[in-house]
Amino acid sequence: MTATYALKRLAMAVPTLLLVAVAVFALLRLVPGDPAQLMLGDAADADQLAALRESMGLNHSLPVQFFNWLGAALRGDLGRSLSNDQPVLPLILERFQVTASIVLLAVALAALIAIPLGTIAAWKQNSLLDIAVVGGATLLLSIPSFWLGLLMLLFFGLKLGWVPVIGYVGFGENPWQALLYIVLPVVTLTLIETGVLTRMARSAAIDVLRLEYVAHARSKGLREFTVLRRHVLPNAFAPTLTLLGIVLGNLLGGIAVIETVFTIPGLGRLLVDGIYARDYPVVQGTMLFVAAIYVLVNLLTDLLYPFFDPRVAAE
Amino acid sequence: MKTASLLAGLAAAALGILPAVAQEPLRASLNSDIRSTQPGGNRDANTDAVTLHMVEGLVALDERATPVPMLAQTVEVSPDGRTYTFTLRQGVTFHNGAPLTSAEVLWSLRRYMDPATQWRCLPDLNGRSGIAKVTDMAAPDARTVTVTLEQPAALFLSIIARPDCGETAVLHPSSVGADGAWVKPVGTGPFMMGEWRRGQFVELERFDGYASLPGERNGLAGGKKAQVAKLRFVVIPDSSAAKAALLAGNVDVLSEVPAPELPDLRRSAGVTVMAAPTMGVTALLMQTRDPLLKDARIRRAIALSLDVPELVTAMIGDDAPANASPLPSASAFRSEAQAARPTRDVAAAKRLLAEAGYRGQTIRMITNRRYPNVYDAAVASQAMAAEAGIKIELEVLDWATQLDRYTRGEYQMMSFIYSPRLDPSLSYEMLSGPKDTQPRKVWEDPEALALIGRSMTTTDTAARQAIFDELYKRFMDQVPMVILYNQPDYMAVRRGVQGARPWAGGLTRLWNVSRD
Amino acid sequence: MRLRMNAVLGGTLMALVLGTAVTSFFWTPANPLRIAMRARLNAPSAAHWLGTDEVGRDVVSRLMAGAGTSCLVAALTVLAAVVLGSLIGLLSGFARGWVDRVLMLVNDALLAFPGILLALGLLAVLGASQWGIVAALGLAYTPTVARIVRGAVLSIREREFVEASRSIGNSALYTMWRHVLPGTVSPLIVLATSLFGWAILAESALSFLGLGVPPPAPTWGNMLAAARPYLESAVWLGVAPGACIALTLLGVNLLGDALRDQLDPRSRPQ
Repeated sequence: MTATYALKRLAMAVPTLLLVAVAVFALLRLVPGDPAQLMLGDAADADQLAALRESMGLNHSLPVQFFNWLGAALRGDLGRSLSNDQPVLPLILERFQVTASIVLLAVALAALIAIPLGTIAAWKQNSLLDIAVVGGATLLLSIPSFWLGLLMLLFFGLKLGWVPVIGYVGFGENPWQALLYIVLPVVTLTLIETGVLTRMARSAAIDVLRLEYVAHARSKGLREFTVLRRHVLPNAFAPTLTLLGIVLGNLLGGIAVIETVFTIPGLGRLLVDGIYARDYPVVQGTMLFVAAIYVLVNLLTDLLYPFFDPRVAAE
Repeated sequence: MKTASLLAGLAAAALGILPAVAQEPLRASLNSDIRSTQPGGNRDANTDAVTLHMVEGLVALDERATPVPMLAQTVEVSPDGRTYTFTLRQGVTFHNGAPLTSAEVLWSLRRYMDPATQWRCLPDLNGRSGIAKVTDMAAPDARTVTVTLEQPAALFLSIIARPDCGETAVLHPSSVGADGAWVKPVGTGPFMMGEWRRGQFVELERFDGYASLPGERNGLAGGKKAQVAKLRFVVIPDSSAAKAALLAGNVDVLSEVPAPELPDLRRSAGVTVMAAPTMGVTALLMQTRDPLLKDARIRRAIALSLDVPELVTAMIGDDAPANASPLPSASAFRSEAQAARPTRDVAAAKRLLAEAGYRGQTIRMITNRRYPNVYDAAVASQAMAAEAGIKIELEVLDWATQLDRYTRGEYQMMSFIYSPRLDPSLSYEMLSGPKDTQPRKVWEDPEALALIGRSMTTTDTAARQAIFDELYKRFMDQVPMVILYNQPDYMAVRRGVQGARPWAGGLTRLWNVSRD
Repeated sequence: MRLRMNAVLGGTLMALVLGTAVTSFFWTPANPLRIAMRARLNAPSAAHWLGTDEVGRDVVSRLMAGAGTSCLVAALTVLAAVVLGSLIGLLSGFARGWVDRVLMLVNDALLAFPGILLALGLLAVLGASQWGIVAALGLAYTPTVARIVRGAVLSIREREFVEASRSIGNSALYTMWRHVLPGTVSPLIVLATSLFGWAILAESALSFLGLGVPPPAPTWGNMLAAARPYLESAVWLGVAPGACIALTLLGVNLLGDALRDQLDPRSRPQ
């Protein structure tokens, strides 16, 4: 049943991605400015502009441009960057590695902290501990990420000199160096996501705590800790999982700010730089890629959901 | 030639004696990655700065941005002003060890003149833009190259020396592959191409066989010596992060410092900030075809409502003076006559507005956050104009969008920065022209256009000076725009970095720069 | 006890913020837009309680005026997202079938669309203004609301009381109104309070990327973004709007928790 469901969902992803592709293309061409103009700057002569546009393939009509791109994309060719003539797909994969390692690490750490913390706060609802946890979480999610990032950079990088303030080294090259370079962005993201996830986990756990079977488990004389571990924690995890999917998706787009502050060559910066440079193939390719990843992550969370939520499993 | 081999020998000796000193590359910031390594091709200012460490042209700009011989020993112009004869320096070798001869020069020039190369400056040399038209190029012997023009052109050498044209660099044919596709620059510069990790850094390596001109550094010409074995340009898009990197010692040189970062850097003991006025122009453009702004009285009122010296001092202190002229303050043609600007007079501005029947209509001014000085200028002038009752509303756009509006001429006002124009004729050409065919042009005055045309063919200095003074008078009289100042080129280095200097041309030069 | 504390603390903070916002329309210590180029980056003093900014404007006055703009933008954004998202979520969760599939298709596509491109695109098309930001952020948050509401609807519609309502012959619309909609209120309020916070944060991130509410109108977001280069030489510039953002978010979230406890019948003290 799960296999056919997964296949069905995958089939449904095709129109979603197509919709994204069309929307990105349309929006990108609605935004004023074009790459040829940017290259020529304040001295853009009409003839020169036309020649450059032609060499970039921008002289065709929009539908022709779109279907040319789509046709190539279906064959796995996302074109070449207009800014530096790099093939887009390898560029994306290279940048994605960087972003994924940071985002996954941060979200995993945040979930590890947030779910137990949220569950305990819910269990001790209205206690001082609960207030402290909620207050702390609220404070964390109310700090702008770039601000937190910069403060950390100034403190740990500049004042204490513990870590380099800019740059990136791949894990394959030098794992220890790599760790030094990504520790600040990971910690920044972790702190902020912990704030969001703790509140969600707590609210999910409160819902679970009210269900009859928790009362039932309690009435059977199970120890409070066992109830918490065996019934509340796993069930509070389910709704949080859905949110995790959303968080992951949003992070891929929203990490641009963090990547800019810490000078990390990730996917977010590729996208933002691409947008500012009107590098159409890069933006289109990156967006399609991000959308595909997003759909995949959501499919996975949906498939995993029944394993964690007794209510859906019972259906 | 002797000097060259001597220098090469010295460089080799230095390498032998001091093997370990320069292990760590000298690191300089770049605010965006380079676009390619092809001179005058797919480029921007950063690309120019990096590639001009590796390649050189027949002529190059000196410290005052006038063209002087670089790879050419001498440049001679025929009496009719149409034929340029370049005699090449001897002893110059390419990065691959091949000697420089007229064959490579001719190959390079022909490559640039081929439309397929998409050389940025082709329209200026094939007659399209009306500046010059090359009719013939030849190599009579191994040391001589001649270029013949259809008509005399005062700007020919200025054009081929332009950094954005890649200095019309002389390349070895092995720079391109068998299929004609670009591989990497094999030039004659003091550095060679090393590793380019896209989005992260470009690394250049010292060229041990470099044949330097004698003397001091002089713009993009003069004596050049690679003092470090490796030079690394690190891409740091965020200016605050770049500042932090410099303070923390992760880079040695900030090749560009936006004004808002200056206070922090100047407070820091381990850092030196340097400034040199460039030839770029920061200005408030006004659309003379706008229903409201077509009235010169309103434009003049706006100009009168601004206290420009105050604004400039507040923004950049004493790093650069206010300048009302389209000619940069560093230009030899910016005479005393062009120093005058009417002082702020709010009452007069109000009178003019009343005369013109201005009733507080909103004027929209476009600006952006990519260039902090452009943004600050917009915010400050908005507040100053408000005191005269002029209602300006700011529209903050991203740079690409603003450039699009500029190119189309679709704006009322615009806070803008022009890239450097290195010749006075070009300074006026960049802002004047017929709007029907060139909507980006701000100033449309047939008589001014005639004057500009005349300045391009006149070679007599005094006559040219008279033309520019006349142009300035007309410009100030019609107020198509308010020119504020010439943005300084800032550079910041850590203690221990020797020999770095900012430059009016705005490009970072890291030859002759060493680190203790 | 906690309930009261949440309500009191959250309410006080929000009253303070809204009071400041309203006051700023009538009175601020100085004109928040008046620049004084000679008095740039002045440290806090008697004349300027929180100093002056990079063009010499009074920071306290700008903070007060910024309260209005920031809260208005955030509130309108949340309103737009909640209204649109709830409609989509309710319809999709309740109708199921092809309606659900099509709606979720659009929703997923929208969700998979990084907010920044949406914002940049819309702002470029609509022109950079407060309304552009409301539209861009509102649209960006809509799918999140829709998903959560749909999820709530799906889990509620399987509950016994919904089955019961249907089995006694109540119409679908009535059942939705009477039994399903109230069940979505609690997650919606939690979400809406988060969204309000996100909107204030997103505005500051957009300002950081150069796309926030255009000057000279101050918002906490664009003040914070503008203060970034001066962290060493003028700390107060960044600390003040940052603290305002944090306190407002604290207030709105506490208030949201209190409301949630009030509105959710199951959470009344037993």
